[in-house]
Amino acid sequence: MKNKLRITSALVAGLLGTIPTVAMAAQTSPSAAEVNQALLERIAKLEAELGDLRALVQQSVTKAKDAEETANNAQKTAESVQKTAKSAKKLVTNIIKKSEAGSDIQWHLVGYANAGFVASSRPGPDSFVTGKFNPAFHFKYKDFFLYESELELTTSADGETNLELEYSKFNIFLNDYATLVIGKYLSPIGQFQERLHPTWINKIQTAPAGFGHDGIQPGSDTGVQLRGAIPMGDTRFTYAVALGNGPRTNIEGGVITSGMGRDDNSNKSFGGRIGFFPVPYLEVGGSYLTAKVDGYASGPAAGHEGISGITSLATGPSDATYELWGFDAAYTKGPLHGRFEYLSSTRDVLFTITDSSPTGELLPQLGMEAWYGQISYRLSSISSSTALQKLEPVIRYGEFRITGQDELSAESSQNRFNLGMNYWVAPTIVTKFGLEWRDYQDLGVEDDTRYQFQISYGF
Amino acid sequence: MNMNKKPMALMTMIAGVGALIAAGSLMGTAAIAAEKKADTPDPMLIVKGAKAWKENCGRCHNLRSPKELTDEEWDTSVAHMRTRANLAAKDARAIRAFLQSSN
Repeated sequence: MKNKLRITSALVAGLLGTIPTVAMAAQTSPSAAEVNQALLERIAKLEAELGDLRALVQQSVTKAKDAEETANNAQKTAESVQKTAKSAKKLVTNIIKKSEAGSDIQWHLVGYANAGFVASSRPGPDSFVTGKFNPAFHFKYKDFFLYESELELTTSADGETNLELEYSKFNIFLNDYATLVIGKYLSPIGQFQERLHPTWINKIQTAPAGFGHDGIQPGSDTGVQLRGAIPMGDTRFTYAVALGNGPRTNIEGGVITSGMGRDDNSNKSFGGRIGFFPVPYLEVGGSYLTAKVDGYASGPAAGHEGISGITSLATGPSDATYELWGFDAAYTKGPLHGRFEYLSSTRDVLFTITDSSPTGELLPQLGMEAWYGQISYRLSSISSSTALQKLEPVIRYGEFRITGQDELSAESSQNRFNLGMNYWVAPTIVTKFGLEWRDYQDLGVEDDTRYQFQISYGF
Repeated sequence: MNMNKKPMALMTMIAGVGALIAAGSLMGTAAIAAEKKADTPDPMLIVKGAKAWKENCGRCHNLRSPKELTDEEWDTSVAHMRTRANLAAKDARAIRAFLQSSN
């Protein structure tokens, strides 16, 4: 704009400088006055144009000042924003520091669920089964305290919802080799209950005979446990020693081994399991449990009050020693998993009130024995087919025997053979198709062939 | 183990549990310090963790992808499995380091 002004000024000056020459020339032209008049008009026009240009320049200067002021303001705003961002960053850092100080508590929700279908050769309808939903909670405080609990929700055949507390325990990590456990815990006897019973881990739809509910293997107990692992080179020695409320008798004289909320007597059970890994892929273990169980002094309606210690020559002992022992082995290398467990228990003679004898009777020794062997093989390494790699055939055979109580024996003594094919949708989602043959040992009990389907998800 | 007949057994049990808790409160500090060392990623620890993860976690169930859980969830989950499966503490620390570095 300034350049344009200069050019215009020079032009005006140039024109003014030419006036004398033009005037002289006008003397020879027809009308010098007219020429002069024209020149004057042109000068006036140029002056007007010059004035406009000056105004324009002035306007531009004003705008430039405004722009500069705006830029200054923007810079100030940017600096202000930068300061605010720094403050916010500092604030967030402080919040994070505070939250990290508070993150001593961490928790985790896990669990599993399943559903399925069962068809039986016995009379009665084939049925879809709801299975169960087991949410589990883990709350960890720093690195030495862990509380964990698992619930089990099921729907009964009559449609009622049942809720059970599988375990609720406090784990205190004393050091690298010992953890103190307090509360209701899964029984450390054997392997199946503590490690393999979740349906997304169990390779077959059902537990081995004698290793599920009402079997020989204790499900849980309430008390204290000391457990841990001691490294030995490439292998390790593991142990779990427990002092708990222990089992109790039911009104038929059988032994209930699921954890009770309170003890019915002052007799505590003592037992546990030791394990060893001769090679990294082979684990062998031995378990033992001893306890005293009481007979019933009154019917169940009056509550189970033990009559421990009252021994009469006329009746017999009102409490009995209960002993359980067993061993297990697991070979788990790559796609091949082989397992074996054996358990044997005895409850000594016991005088107790029963359903059939309200005044009491002397029950003979009750013996239980169960074992199973299981092999599964994931076809992940024998085929390039993705579908085939997700298949896992499994076979299991087991026996369960009960002596000393005919009714219980008739109900449960059996040989059980399972054949199954699993399809792993994902590492923790499995669909299981299987056949189960139950060969009951009592001649009056009809054998059972079951066709079973189950889908299970561990999350 | 009849506690009425054997008061000494009861006292022994209480004393034993008390001693364990007291010892734990002392040894717990050392345990925490040992655990905290795992916060610094050590390449060798991660390699050991990968091996221990394969050998131990696959013993009972399929291996879960490390990407399934966050660092905090793996921390809690491994603590759970340490007591559930009687993992050696050093293996548990290595497995945790591997999983947290691979998720």
